[in-house]
Amino acid sequence: MNPRTLTSDILLGIVPIALSVALWQGIVSFGYAPVTLLPPPGQVFMRLAQQLLTGTFQQEIGATLFRLFAGFSIAVVLGVGIGLAAAANPAVNAVVRPIVRVLAPLPKVALYPALLLLLGFGHQSKITLVAADALFPILLSTYYGASMVEQKLIWSAMAAGTPRRQILFKVVLPAAVPSILTGCRIGLVISCIVVFLAEMITSTDGLGHLLVTAARTFKTVDMFVPLITISLLGLILNGLLQGLRSWLLRGFPEV
Amino acid sequence: MIPPGTILSRAAPLLACLGLLAIWQAASLTLRTDSFPTAWEAVRTIPSILGDKESLINILASLRRMAIGFGVGIAVSIPLGLLMGRSRAVASFFNPLLMIVYPVPKAALMPIIMLWLGVGELAKILVIFLGVSLPVIYHSFQGAKAVEEKMLWSGAAMGLSAAQRMIRIVLPAALPEILTGCRTGLVLALITMVTSEMIARQSGAGNILFNSLDMGQYDTVYAMIIIIGAMGIGLDAAFEKLRGRLVKWSEPGFEIPLSFA
Repeated sequence: MNPRTLTSDILLGIVPIALSVALWQGIVSFGYAPVTLLPPPGQVFMRLAQQLLTGTFQQEIGATLFRLFAGFSIAVVLGVGIGLAAAANPAVNAVVRPIVRVLAPLPKVALYPALLLLLGFGHQSKITLVAADALFPILLSTYYGASMVEQKLIWSAMAAGTPRRQILFKVVLPAAVPSILTGCRIGLVISCIVVFLAEMITSTDGLGHLLVTAARTFKTVDMFVPLITISLLGLILNGLLQGLRSWLLRGFPEV
Repeated sequence: MIPPGTILSRAAPLLACLGLLAIWQAASLTLRTDSFPTAWEAVRTIPSILGDKESLINILASLRRMAIGFGVGIAVSIPLGLLMGRSRAVASFFNPLLMIVYPVPKAALMPIIMLWLGVGELAKILVIFLGVSLPVIYHSFQGAKAVEEKMLWSGAAMGLSAAQRMIRIVLPAALPEILTGCRTGLVLALITMVTSEMIARQSGAGNILFNSLDMGQYDTVYAMIIIIGAMGIGLDAAFEKLRGRLVKWSEPGFEIPLSFA
């Protein structure tokens, strides 16, 4: 892809975003929707900028980010670990496979009441929910990535005298990294969504809680602010993960 | 005669279910707190929920909303995704917008949509529709992008118009991928349905779940969790059967799609 088409792509991509903002502004300024129901975009973004500078708002973002990262890290550790074990060991595979088959399509939000009852209203229940939701994409992508490692790579490592135990970490894991990172990306977006929802359902802080309080006090402008913030957070985290990916995969053939 | 190996592999998910229930039973027997009834107590409560007319109506209403949202969602998303996959311009037009929308929890839009449309059916269906759309668009996009160019060229050489090529070549070729998207979409529809009802507590399965939590009816809470979980597993298994029939010719790349949550 040459840089010229790339810039034209970016320009083309900005059009619908600009159009939706314009449509939003249009609906407000032509009076199709009362300002109480749909505040003008300028006001929302002003409020966002204003809020981002205040300490309390930063604390709410901090609480959300903490839960997000804690849950996501647990999911990465468990997902990669179980995925690798299932790919390497047929006995583990025979146990893990049916359990994953049952648990993956289960709507994890439905477990949230049980988590609340067992772990309380604090951080733990939300972190567990995030981890449970982000686990499966990471586990599955690790498993698929590790089980599709080219057999020749393993044979040549064995021929070169690598002990069996080390093959897992020196050959299989690095070869599965692109696939694992794909799973992590899906898991990360899911974590963003889930942490927000958990905070909306029961919480005393965090971005989701801000949205609920704004909704209860009928402050429409403040309802849009946390939504835009979580979208921005998602974009930033996704960008960081892309950066990590291109750094980890430097020298890999194009994937 | 089915060989014993196949029987075992078919029964494995069932065994896994029973195993999980057994772990639950053991855990609650060791913990012995009021808020964590045993698996058996929860399972025993299920018939009384399903037998109760009001909650049955609630659950069926939830399922109906879900079906409508899912149906409208795939009807809009598949054509859009296919178009995006075949036309670079359309793809670069929509992609950034979708990337912005992707990390926004769709059920979190509920309070805002409720302001505009009220607490009724429409708001909930719209939220489910939004939740279903993204994965279906994404997978249709990937599927259409991967269609072999040569088939399209030969189609064009044989005088198929652009629209005909879309329906007779791109759609079938992308079908396995589209169905993967639909499978994810189905599970997401269920998730969005439950969460939207948790946030707008008015009716539905999510409402029963959280109301019983507030009222301390812990047996009902856990029984509802089992019911909702069973719906997810059941819908997924049913869809997988349908998928196997529709695209018998295509080996699925992955047994379970990655984007499940």
